[in-house]
Amino acid sequence: MKKILAILLAGMMTATALVGCGEAAGSSSKADDSSKSDNGSSDAAKIEGSIVDDSYFGDEGTDSNPVTLKVWAPDAAVSLVKEQIEAFKKAYPNRKFKEISVVAQGENDAATNMLNDATTAADVFSFPSDQLNKLVDAGVISQVAFKDAVTEANAEETVTAGTLNDTLYAYPETNDNGYYLVYDKSVVSDDQAQTLEGILEACKKAGKKFIMDAGNGYYACTFAFTAGVKIDGLEEDGLTQKFAEYDEDDAVATLQAFAKLIKDYKGTFQSLEVANIASGFSSGKCGAGIDGSWDTASNQKALGDNFGAAKLPTINVNGTDKQLISMFGYKYIGVNGSSKFPATAQILAYYLAGEECQLQRAEKLGWGPSNKKVQENEVVTGSAVLKAIGEQAKNACVQVNVASTFWDPMANLGNKLIADNCDPSDAAAMKKLLNDTISNIKDEG
Amino acid sequence: MTYVEYKQLNPFQRFAYNLKKFFCNIPHAVGHFFVALGKAIVKFFVGIGKGFANYGKTFVKGDWATKLSYLIFGVGDLSKGKYYKGILFFAVEVLYILYMVFFGWGYLRMFPTLGTQAQRTEYINGVIPKQVPGDNSMLILLYSVLTLVITVVVFAIYITNIKDAYRHQIMKANGQKPTSFKDDMKQFLDGKYHITLMSFPVLMIGIFNVLPLIFMILIAFTNYDKQHMPPGTLFTWIGFDNFGSLFNLVEGAKKGYTFIKLTEWTLIWAVAATFSNYILGMIFALMINKKGIKFKSLWRTLFVITIAVPQFVSLLLMNQMLQSNGAVNIILSHLTNSHVEIQWLNSSATLARWVVIIINCWVGIPYTILSMSGILMNIPEDLYESARIDGAGPVKTFTAITLPYMLFVTTPQLITQFVGNINNFNVIYLLSGGSPTTQDYYQAGETDILVTWLFKLTMNSQDYGLAAAIGILVFVICATLSLIVYNNSKSMKDEEAFS
Repeated sequence: MKKILAILLAGMMTATALVGCGEAAGSSSKADDSSKSDNGSSDAAKIEGSIVDDSYFGDEGTDSNPVTLKVWAPDAAVSLVKEQIEAFKKAYPNRKFKEISVVAQGENDAATNMLNDATTAADVFSFPSDQLNKLVDAGVISQVAFKDAVTEANAEETVTAGTLNDTLYAYPETNDNGYYLVYDKSVVSDDQAQTLEGILEACKKAGKKFIMDAGNGYYACTFAFTAGVKIDGLEEDGLTQKFAEYDEDDAVATLQAFAKLIKDYKGTFQSLEVANIASGFSSGKCGAGIDGSWDTASNQKALGDNFGAAKLPTINVNGTDKQLISMFGYKYIGVNGSSKFPATAQILAYYLAGEECQLQRAEKLGWGPSNKKVQENEVVTGSAVLKAIGEQAKNACVQVNVASTFWDPMANLGNKLIADNCDPSDAAAMKKLLNDTISNIKDEG
Repeated sequence: MTYVEYKQLNPFQRFAYNLKKFFCNIPHAVGHFFVALGKAIVKFFVGIGKGFANYGKTFVKGDWATKLSYLIFGVGDLSKGKYYKGILFFAVEVLYILYMVFFGWGYLRMFPTLGTQAQRTEYINGVIPKQVPGDNSMLILLYSVLTLVITVVVFAIYITNIKDAYRHQIMKANGQKPTSFKDDMKQFLDGKYHITLMSFPVLMIGIFNVLPLIFMILIAFTNYDKQHMPPGTLFTWIGFDNFGSLFNLVEGAKKGYTFIKLTEWTLIWAVAATFSNYILGMIFALMINKKGIKFKSLWRTLFVITIAVPQFVSLLLMNQMLQSNGAVNIILSHLTNSHVEIQWLNSSATLARWVVIIINCWVGIPYTILSMSGILMNIPEDLYESARIDGAGPVKTFTAITLPYMLFVTTPQLITQFVGNINNFNVIYLLSGGSPTTQDYYQAGETDILVTWLFKLTMNSQDYGLAAAIGILVFVICATLSLIVYNNSKSMKDEEAFS
């Protein structure tokens, strides 16, 4: 009896092992089938404006497979994006949407959060152009489905900057991602706003502050760019930053001029986050500042009629006035590569980056559009801010192909220039700082 | 030095003598550690050898059922009438094989390479791009570790199964009957009660501590960083390269330089933070406990009230107050009647380090006062009385009674605090965030300690492999220091002294 039981058990075990093998082989052949069927394409689908043909959804958004999506938008845009998503749902009445949630997520670290865990990140998210490399390298961003329509509708430079290795990776959303000079006209005259010296003098006289976030690489790179150290794409490895040629002595002299000015106007020149500019305008403590296009609405509200906007000023280096060179970029809407609803995510991203939505954002948030038709709209051509941004764009480095190692060393450069222990007359130390910054950005060592 | 000579020294000489002895003992202690380690390794291999010997011996001596147990779990037990145990053994084998076939082997197979097929893009209907997942190096590593641990456990069960089969064979030969299920269960409430109590905690520690730990240690040997980021790209084994880059001291090698400099500062910080809190806390506790001080509980409450505010809130507030336009500068401006704008944390490294250590006193001293007051109140009063009768002054009583007593009781606490300070993330990260920044370090600022550097490496630059390597090294530093200090402390050597 016991022997029989033992043998039976042994037989059962062998059987399960065999069954196990058979099952495994079956499931792998099934996977092959599904990958084959993806190749069939339908030419019938059409695109009109920002609405695409319903057939693009495929089997998504049906009763058995309702759509659940997550969208990341910056704080200021959340309520508008929510409205736009409602409109999106109405535009596709045949599809079933379970939930499209909008979560506030600052664009400045959208890529970082995407990289941390792409599977729990948003399906559709907006980000500035400099993060594109990071997203593409990590393979978390999906390429654009409606490339031809996007290329046709948007300004050429925004499409070029979103393209890597001949593939368009994201939907252009704005072409205004830069910063410019905002000032209180009752403190700084339009004439004084032309030079940094004039602005600081006027602010000091009025006992007000000039605010620039000099400890942030995004703003601090102005120091290096103005000094002639401009970025010039990436090396062939796609990782290392290249710089245009520059005159080292001139660059050092420019940095010294900045440091001297900051030291001379200590107390007036304040390195604070840009959010302090709008609040400083309201409380009357701030006279001028360098702020981004996304804060336009709050600055205008704080200053009212005294709101002044202009391109960045000049700085006097050994007798010649040098124009401040800024970082200028575009914003994009990207689609998460691991989205559970890739078709709907693409269609939604295309819709949010479309003409109507861009116009709404230009009207309500003051964001400069990338869409060619919207660019000709009165809302854009009549805006002083967008004009100032347009002018600054001519004196700017385009924020494309920026290595991920660029920002921290630039922030450090800014921090060192505004530090108490910075000695503007020490050319050797300034030269070392500049060279160390560049070698850190190139990630040598 | 004889005991009598030692007793004749004054406290400072004694301290110097003990310090000298401590440092002279370090080579000995380290040597001792390695000898012990060597012995343990030898013992381990001898144990394995013995295990193999037994394995073979049992097979030769076993009957047909015991022999069959080498292949099929539980046959031996079943043939001797121990049904429930035999079925359990057999179930383990079946489950293990099912697990390996359906899940484990698929991952374990790719463990040596951590995946070969990267993610690729396909098009739905020729238009909508969809990313088809390839191998996910992280999941392969994770599930391989799980599979390996399960395999080790199953192997242990396998050995138990053989031993059990042989035991029952001998029992049968001696004419004994196998114990019943009921009796075995009763054993778990009696002779094997420790197993009943400990199995659940051990299981949880295994799942939530040991498994992730093995996973993290293995990550240190991979190139998991921002260019090798699953699911988009694969990462793979690179051996000791991460450790190599930390110890690379060639001119211009930033990671190695940063590691050495930050280790230096971490140790300075840990010593300064621990002893500043300890000494100042003790002084405050002594002052409060002194006879003749009025409103003792009021003073104690006042000092301890800082604990009522959560530590991170105080630290963040301090950070705001120390900004260039913060409260501290504004107060100084009013006091001096001129514009003061000192960058406490953002300008000079030395200043920022002093500030961090001093602010740490603010959050740390109250805890020391609390524990010290308790210990002070516990020192037997008769010790002091007899000292007074013998003519000892306050300094003498402090050095001869209070300090030795305190040190005896608090040495383990000091060690914990020291190790805690090596890993004191909160104070550094919330107070200074590592600033002032510097161009000389890789991804770190002047006040960053090793753990905050580790955090920045993972959160800002996704250098997971490097960060894991640093984590291992921090553990080695902490473990070595604690073992040496603890083994040399009085509390360890002379447990009975003050009881």
